[in-house]
Amino acid sequence: MKGFAFGQYYPARSVLHRMDPRAKVICAVAYIVASFLCKNTFSFLLLLVSAFALILISRIPMKVVLRSIKALIFIMAFTAVLNIFWIVDTSEGAAPLVDFWVIKIYAKGLYHAAFILVRILAMVIGTGLFLTYTTTPIALTDALESLLRPLAKIKVPVHAFAMMMTIALRFIPTIMEETEKIMSAQKARGADFTTGSLAKRAKALIPIIVPLFASAFRRADELATAMECRCYHGGEGRTKLRVLKYHGRDAFALIFVALFIGGIVAINIFGRKYGWLYTM
Amino acid sequence: MKKKDKISRPNPQAVGTETGTAPSVPIMNQTENPKIRLENINYYYGKGTPFEVKALDSVSLDIHAGKLTGIIGHTGSGKSTLVQLLNGLSRAGEGRVLLDGTDIWAKPKDIGRIRYRVGLVMQYPEYQLFEETVFADIAFGPRNMGLSEEEIRERVVEAAAFAGVPADLMDKSPFDLSGGQKRRVAIAGIMAMRPEVLVLDEPAAGLDPQGRHTIFQGIRHYNRNTGCTVLIVSHSMEDMAQYCDDVVVMAHAKVLMAGDRDYIFSRADELEAVGLDIPQVTKLCQLLRRGGMPMPAGLYTVEAAEEALEAIFSQAKGQRKGGKQA
Repeated sequence: MKGFAFGQYYPARSVLHRMDPRAKVICAVAYIVASFLCKNTFSFLLLLVSAFALILISRIPMKVVLRSIKALIFIMAFTAVLNIFWIVDTSEGAAPLVDFWVIKIYAKGLYHAAFILVRILAMVIGTGLFLTYTTTPIALTDALESLLRPLAKIKVPVHAFAMMMTIALRFIPTIMEETEKIMSAQKARGADFTTGSLAKRAKALIPIIVPLFASAFRRADELATAMECRCYHGGEGRTKLRVLKYHGRDAFALIFVALFIGGIVAINIFGRKYGWLYTM
Repeated sequence: MKKKDKISRPNPQAVGTETGTAPSVPIMNQTENPKIRLENINYYYGKGTPFEVKALDSVSLDIHAGKLTGIIGHTGSGKSTLVQLLNGLSRAGEGRVLLDGTDIWAKPKDIGRIRYRVGLVMQYPEYQLFEETVFADIAFGPRNMGLSEEEIRERVVEAAAFAGVPADLMDKSPFDLSGGQKRRVAIAGIMAMRPEVLVLDEPAAGLDPQGRHTIFQGIRHYNRNTGCTVLIVSHSMEDMAQYCDDVVVMAHAKVLMAGDRDYIFSRADELEAVGLDIPQVTKLCQLLRRGGMPMPAGLYTVEAAEEALEAIFSQAKGQRKGGKQA
């Protein structure tokens, strides 16, 4: 249960940590777009280099970042294998590298597999470094609230959503701790969660789920009362302790990411002219 | 096995000494046939990470059969960690837990059976209630043991009586009860398994004095009537002094001292030195003694203090009378 994605904030002193969370959200989205725009060897190389450059900039130990990737190794391996065996090169003069029984492996398949791996890697590293690692959950919800504010014009309760998200994030560790406690307590009464048929195991969860929900509702009730006592009445007229403010570094980061996307598009166009750059 | 503990005075040299990681630590509160014996237990949280904390440090301890033993210590002294080892909810990295002389982890697959023999009531147990009726909730443990309906009914009724759950609550939803009632239902749920050892982690936490008294009275009554070995974790010396036979004092992940009440409270000064409060009566006697009154050390009940004071006064009176006559 440890190492949960939202608990990953890693305190360090870096430009990425100091950036405005709104700018980081925009950068993260732009980075995902960039990873999908990549088309050829050179642009994917650039993407890979940029991902590792981000790790260096964030001053988060490489080990910590790689540990979070370890969790995705299965899905990455699966996609890679699928690509290697699935892709059939129908272009002229393309001979399979390996041709054994029903297995035919083409160079194109290998390239595709590598590209997809780099894309997943870059997306995970990019969003992780822009968002979860360098931004506290509270800053993140503040940013989302601010970015989604235009939607309030069409009556979307943006503040309420942001508050809900803040509360949900805040209570994840609490509820996890509670789950562990309840599990221990029921185990002490002889509950068994690990053996028996699927139906039996599903039934064995009732002694956990019922008290967990009961306590979640109790907590919600107490929280509501506490908020009421402090005169919470929704977002209207509410000021913030930490007012979000764009700085020079945010503008710089946004321009840099825009240039990065531009660069990748340029490489794609450039690559089409020169056949030696392998294109997807 | 019950009343033959007089030979089992704790070894004074062993008490509070810095044995460190010596291969074998003298066993505190040693007895011949302990119900539970802890041997050289070391327990770490987050071992191998920078956040490593040693929660138990070379703990060796005997729990006497049939007695009511109190475990006392500050928050973070390792007492809750200790009790979770007793029924195999967690396993110590080093050391053994012996129940009636057998290692509880001898057959790891059978650890479930150990949990029926060592019943653990965790902190704030009222939050684990889940069944539709109080009866069904108390019956959860016995039902998991695979007992017959008849046997279950008998045990539930018995446990409810010991824990002080009135019969008219049996068909109510546990969610409709008051905090104190829920607590008693949860305790009954463990008692109904008829464990050989009953362990309660802060059973009276958050209850008012009346509620505390009822719970402790019930537990003591249960201990005396069933002969079941009972362990209570608490941080209230007053409760310990009032209800327990033996007391185990924990501080900084170690057992500081262990022994029967008389022995522990005769060392009240040491308890205070580690920042534990001692019963008010003990404190008063201490002050009187410091003021020059010949009060005996280690008094922990109002009755005993009263007796001692009476003895001193009557003696003083006798002396004065004698003086006048002369």
